[in-house]
Amino acid sequence: MPEPPDNRALCWAAAAFAGGLLLNIDHLPVWVSAAALVLIVWRLAATVARVPVPGMIARTVLAAAVVVAVLTRFHTLNGLAAGTALLVLMAALKLLETFRRRDRLVLVGAGLFLLLAACLDRQSLARAPLYLGETWLACTALAVIASDGFPGRAALALAGRTLLLALPLAVLLFLFFPRLAGSFWAVPRAEEAVTGLSDTMSPGGIGKLSTSYDVAFRVRFEGALPPTEQRYWRGPVLHDFDGSTWRRGSGGGSARVAPEPGSGRAYRYQVALEPSYHLWWFALDTPAKSPDAGVTLTRDYELRTARPVSDPTSYEALSYTGAREDSPPSPWERFLDTALPHGRNPRSLELARALRTRAGSDAAFITAALEFLRSGGFVYSLEPEVLGAEQVDDFLFRTRTGFCGHYASAFAVLMRAAGVPARVVTGYLGGEWNPSGGYLIVRQSDAHAWVEAWLEGRGWTRIDPTAVVEPERLQRSALDLLPEAMSASTRLLRASPWLVDLMQRWDAANAWWNDRVVKFNYATQIDVLERLGIHSPDALTLGWAFGLVLLGWLAVIAWYLGRSMRPRRPDAIAQAYALLCRKLALTGLRRAPYQGPLAYAEALRAASPALTEGAAALLAQYAQLRYGVPEPATRAHDIEQFARAVRRLRIRLGRTAAATAQVR
Amino acid sequence: MAVWVRRRQGADVLPVTLARRRLYILPTRAGMAFAFLWVLMLLAGLNYGNSLALFFTFLMAGFALVAMNDCHRNLLGLTLVSVSAPAVFARSAGSLLLTLENPALRTRPGMQAALDDGPLVGVDLPPHGRGRLELPLTPARRGIVRIDRLRLTSSHPFGLFRTWTWVHLAVEVLVYPHPHGSLPRPITSGRHPGESSRSGSGLDEWMGLRLFRDGDSPRQVDWKAYARGAPLLVKEYSPAGADLCLFDFAQLRIPDIEARLSQLARWVVDAEAGGERYGLTLPGVQLAPNRGPEHRHRCLAALALYGIEDA
Repeated sequence: MPEPPDNRALCWAAAAFAGGLLLNIDHLPVWVSAAALVLIVWRLAATVARVPVPGMIARTVLAAAVVVAVLTRFHTLNGLAAGTALLVLMAALKLLETFRRRDRLVLVGAGLFLLLAACLDRQSLARAPLYLGETWLACTALAVIASDGFPGRAALALAGRTLLLALPLAVLLFLFFPRLAGSFWAVPRAEEAVTGLSDTMSPGGIGKLSTSYDVAFRVRFEGALPPTEQRYWRGPVLHDFDGSTWRRGSGGGSARVAPEPGSGRAYRYQVALEPSYHLWWFALDTPAKSPDAGVTLTRDYELRTARPVSDPTSYEALSYTGAREDSPPSPWERFLDTALPHGRNPRSLELARALRTRAGSDAAFITAALEFLRSGGFVYSLEPEVLGAEQVDDFLFRTRTGFCGHYASAFAVLMRAAGVPARVVTGYLGGEWNPSGGYLIVRQSDAHAWVEAWLEGRGWTRIDPTAVVEPERLQRSALDLLPEAMSASTRLLRASPWLVDLMQRWDAANAWWNDRVVKFNYATQIDVLERLGIHSPDALTLGWAFGLVLLGWLAVIAWYLGRSMRPRRPDAIAQAYALLCRKLALTGLRRAPYQGPLAYAEALRAASPALTEGAAALLAQYAQLRYGVPEPATRAHDIEQFARAVRRLRIRLGRTAAATAQVR
Repeated sequence: MAVWVRRRQGADVLPVTLARRRLYILPTRAGMAFAFLWVLMLLAGLNYGNSLALFFTFLMAGFALVAMNDCHRNLLGLTLVSVSAPAVFARSAGSLLLTLENPALRTRPGMQAALDDGPLVGVDLPPHGRGRLELPLTPARRGIVRIDRLRLTSSHPFGLFRTWTWVHLAVEVLVYPHPHGSLPRPITSGRHPGESSRSGSGLDEWMGLRLFRDGDSPRQVDWKAYARGAPLLVKEYSPAGADLCLFDFAQLRIPDIEARLSQLARWVVDAEAGGERYGLTLPGVQLAPNRGPEHRHRCLAALALYGIEDA
């Protein structure tokens, strides 16, 4: 049976689909989104302005082209990114042939699937309301599609009310629905845009990162915080230098020696890492041990993971500041950490050798080299001049303007030139205290690079040449020191104290969200149950508890929905009349639906004359009260008197079928 | 299923108020598809350990359960006040009229009803209001059509579930024979057989005007007077001078009985429309010449029930 075209339902279905598309627009290729939007507009234009819609053959060709295009772009139809792109394009094509109710439902289904894809892609707090909006939109579309001509606003209200009622169950299920400890099938993850520190460093690289205000991780300390100048967060350690770029080289393997606490103290803390799609975690100064079985503590005290950090991750760690590692590097390591590209940066090498000869010891040489940086007119800047081919020479003797990467790189080269084993450590320095959340926010703008040199008797020693040039960097973030590097929006955010405060609260909310909602998993679920007093819960108990909770919720829903469906309470007259009729029905003569009170009295009188005195009078009184001219003065009293009389009426069933009624 | 339901519920007496016990509810096809999609979402959410995906999956589960409750509520407490079945000609469109009453304070949108094999017809019931549904009915043959059950149903609000009930009422619809046939009407002038020549002109003796009553033919209304501002008046003609037709079953030379009844029905309809007086003679039935809607109904009913045992 052909259905009439329902343009409003089509528009709502298209809106639900477009909503799903918009949620995914940031991780879909631009051409996919653009094509889908064009198709949506085309279809809507076809309903409004009778623009022709492509025929069957054209659509088939388009569908084939879409599959080929997606395959060309992603080399697979599997996986989140490719699957989403394919779903978007196919659903958009489906829109062109949406003429029946079933087709519109398919579009809403696609919208819901896109919501799922968006959830799998991003789970941030800021996006949650958008996801909720899309759910609302899809449910409204369902309502409009289900009933032709259901007005949009009523459908919105209906869907909103239904979702509100569903919310308690969603929360309950979220908390108690059994989660998986593992997964059913391996999760193919697409290559994502990686953020944060990489495992190579060219002098300008960190400067670019430093303008980003994004959060790298958040840290919550047990007990006191380390002093500001000791908040060095260790990341990749770089050994290989080719004249312009530092690389990690062949570093790896477990730490040979567990670090000793040394002169510093131990810190226990919890790190909540934002997804970076890199292979490392960060730890304060020298981590004592690996925080997780899947993470290796390398001999350079890096925390290296097996899989990229693709989800918000949190871990507990223990670190020492001022720890020492006394075993000297092997000759091979000593060779690696003093190696320099052959024949490059001759002036720097010459300077290093001269300083070393004058100094007499490695420690004195380091002091001299730092003194050279301090007194040489060096400037700390995020926008240094471009360096020439001999980068280190050019920096040390010509531009003398640079960022932490420049200083770390140049200093390590000086060390190596003088035969002191040195390596570049990248990571973060500092962190912003968030008073609303009680934790430290470490941002990408805190990215930093420093040097570690091997000194006889002291082991690997941290030397931060940047701190010599710009001592303030130890106390404040790079962005505070170089406000001109901030993007306009960041500058605006940091301009007024209440905005900063607001941002910190927002960040605390985000941290809470990541911690409590996004990372809610099997382990936390068990934890919640234990806190509720359910220890080592077995499936049966849980099932029963869950069933009871579900039934309770259903009862509340049924009560709530039933409330609005209940008929209006009849007034006192009608109630008394209903009671009268019920009593009189005991005589065996029930009032027929078509009988009025007087006709009923007549019928009763005919059937059993004994009834007439009481019952007929009451029926007549009812007729008078209901249909007669009311006397305002005595009406309330009359009604009360009538009701009382009805209540007092007694029906006596005689031995014969005849009954008597009397008013006491 | 139908037999079981019939046995379980028993026969109904109007007015029927729908109680919980007699309402049935099942997911629609859209609901099944929704459930399938939901399971996929759940599996994906569990597998990826993705909290937000799981949350929205659970929200959709709650949504579906509330929708189920809502759908059930939409029918619960509804009253079927009356069912009326005006007589209808065979092979032409008639209808069964249902009156539904909504005692609740809330609108009940999308109430639908259907005969067993008929299409769904819908109406929105206002709060404390009534709604009328016309179920189309096109009987094939004359006689009596017994409708022993009606389906009241609704898939409001989201079309994921359909709730329904069967109402068992002994409703009988009288079906007149299909008026058909091309034989000329036998015309006899009742009291003045010799004056039949006048009858062809269709002009009757003018008697006067009287007030319009329900059932009067619009042809007899004095429209000109009405246009001048007078009330609806009906022109009356002298029955004495009117044509008189006698339709006799036995005198028709059509071998097929049904065709004969159809021809008679045709004549009755035409004669009534023409404002003539007519009588009908069937074996065992004698209807004296008269006219008016009641007479017409009596004649057509006699034709409808001719030869039907349990009339």
